[in-house]
Amino acid sequence: MQNSKLLGNLVWYVLLGVIVVLALAPIGWMLSTAFKPEAQIATTEIVWIPRTPTIENFTKVLNNYPILRWTGNSLLVATAATILVLFLDSLAGYALARMEFRGRNLIFMLTIAMLFVPIQITVIPLFLLFSRLGLTDSYLALILPVGGNVTGVFLMRQFFLSIPSDLEDAARVDGANALRIWWSVVLPLARPALTAVAIITFLSTWNSFFWPLIVTRTDAVRTLPVGVAQFMSLRPGMVQGTQAFGQSMAGAVMAALPPIIVFMLLQRYFIEGISRTGIKG
Amino acid sequence: MVKEATMRVLPRARTTDTQQAAGQAWRFNATPYWFVLPYLFFFVVFRLGPSIAGLGISFTNWAAIGTPQWVGLANFQAMTRDPRLADALRNTAIFSLVTVPLLIVLGLALALFLNRQKPGRALGRVAVFTPYVIMSTVVGVLWTWLLDKDFGLVNLALSSFGLGKVPWLVSQDWALLGIVLTTVWWTVGYNMVLFLAGLQDIPAELYEAARIDGADSLGLFRHITIPLLAPTLFLVLMLTIINSFQVFDLVFVMTSGGPGTATLTLVQYIYTTGFQFLKFGYGSAIAVLLFVILVVFAVVQTRAYRRGLSGAQ
Repeated sequence: MQNSKLLGNLVWYVLLGVIVVLALAPIGWMLSTAFKPEAQIATTEIVWIPRTPTIENFTKVLNNYPILRWTGNSLLVATAATILVLFLDSLAGYALARMEFRGRNLIFMLTIAMLFVPIQITVIPLFLLFSRLGLTDSYLALILPVGGNVTGVFLMRQFFLSIPSDLEDAARVDGANALRIWWSVVLPLARPALTAVAIITFLSTWNSFFWPLIVTRTDAVRTLPVGVAQFMSLRPGMVQGTQAFGQSMAGAVMAALPPIIVFMLLQRYFIEGISRTGIKG
Repeated sequence: MVKEATMRVLPRARTTDTQQAAGQAWRFNATPYWFVLPYLFFFVVFRLGPSIAGLGISFTNWAAIGTPQWVGLANFQAMTRDPRLADALRNTAIFSLVTVPLLIVLGLALALFLNRQKPGRALGRVAVFTPYVIMSTVVGVLWTWLLDKDFGLVNLALSSFGLGKVPWLVSQDWALLGIVLTTVWWTVGYNMVLFLAGLQDIPAELYEAARIDGADSLGLFRHITIPLLAPTLFLVLMLTIINSFQVFDLVFVMTSGGPGTATLTLVQYIYTTGFQFLKFGYGSAIAVLLFVILVVFAVVQTRAYRRGLSGAQ
């Protein structure tokens, strides 16, 4: 009995170790490569701790690429899009859940239908639209289409259906109008749903690649994923025809580390948020 | 987009309000429209409208130069004679056939393993989920280095086990598998988290009761875990399939569809057709094809799921 328990624990720890190593080794290797001088990178032996650690890859990346600008653009676009979506979707979700009006079911059904239409169908018309408006390669082109996303509306509506309307009824009896009820009664109650919508919107905009790749041309508005893809990977690992994985990895570290750190700090909320919004239905 | 389908919160139906409202005599009330209008504007201009326009453009020969003309089904007929499209369809199918089972089985296995009440499981969960936090293009750049033929960590590790060098991204035979490997590492944590949530919804009393009745762990898995996890399994399977049909970012960064057409996928082909060759009509037609494939899969899967449910009862 004692022995089999010991064996069980041993198997547990060995498997756990293998899983953790497989998941994290690539990230460790990224860090390791980023701090190696280029001459020590292309070798056939596995060296985890750089012999002569250097930050030259980072300074080269910062000098050669506007990576801070891309990061700033991504932050701006993701933040603006999140605020826009929270505003649009908390209003519409509330009306779809609580108010009776002509066209309500039609709006809701069209919203649901769009869950199944891949965005690849929309990018060509969207591109033509923004070209006509002379707005390609602008922040607006990156932010506005996010407002058409349907996830948030759906989530908000479902949330409002799940909470009782007693407080709103009381406020209505007291003579508050609909907008006032929405602002001072409904929104404070909806904080969990608003948080979930905010996290989802921010992350998906932050990581968004296909549309920003198409609609941006200059570093003035280019977002981080597009910048990384176009410049760190133009023949990956090569910079001006020479092997430069050190710089690629330094760029990767700068782009990957902030979200990883935020995730490590807030991982409980992340995982709870994803499992809660992802699965209940 | 596809992730949107995942976002569901358990609705508790409350019909009393609407029933009350319906009972009253109908009179026009503008308030609801003010609430819906801002969203509706964005929805129509940036989502619904472009979707319909995309369908419309697929029946034209719209290109960067020249005036667009209605060509009926010509784009769709041209598809049947397009060898590159055939390659893209084949590669997307192979990618999905390999990736989806891997992501489902590994995701479920990891969830079951890390759901046990043992020390260190929180570390395991965080570690497995961490790659998913990294943006796709950074993952692509990182794995291009890891899969480097001569100096990549993967081949170095393989050779320390006495295995030969694999020409991952540079050979027609291995490139797609390199993308598969990267995708699994990157996204398996997401599936694991969804499965974990499903597992935690299964009441512990069920397991206790079955154990008292003498069920072994395999029996518990077959007769309690799997049936009660079926809705989760259905959702995760649907999402994984939809996402794998739309694989693009990693391909764009790691191989740009090459070598040759070895990793050309449907969305990669939409991108090159629409935005490199500026053939908007034909590009839209391929996007419509993608939409049709996704809908067919959604319908088939939902039917199979319903049949499974009624069969189980």
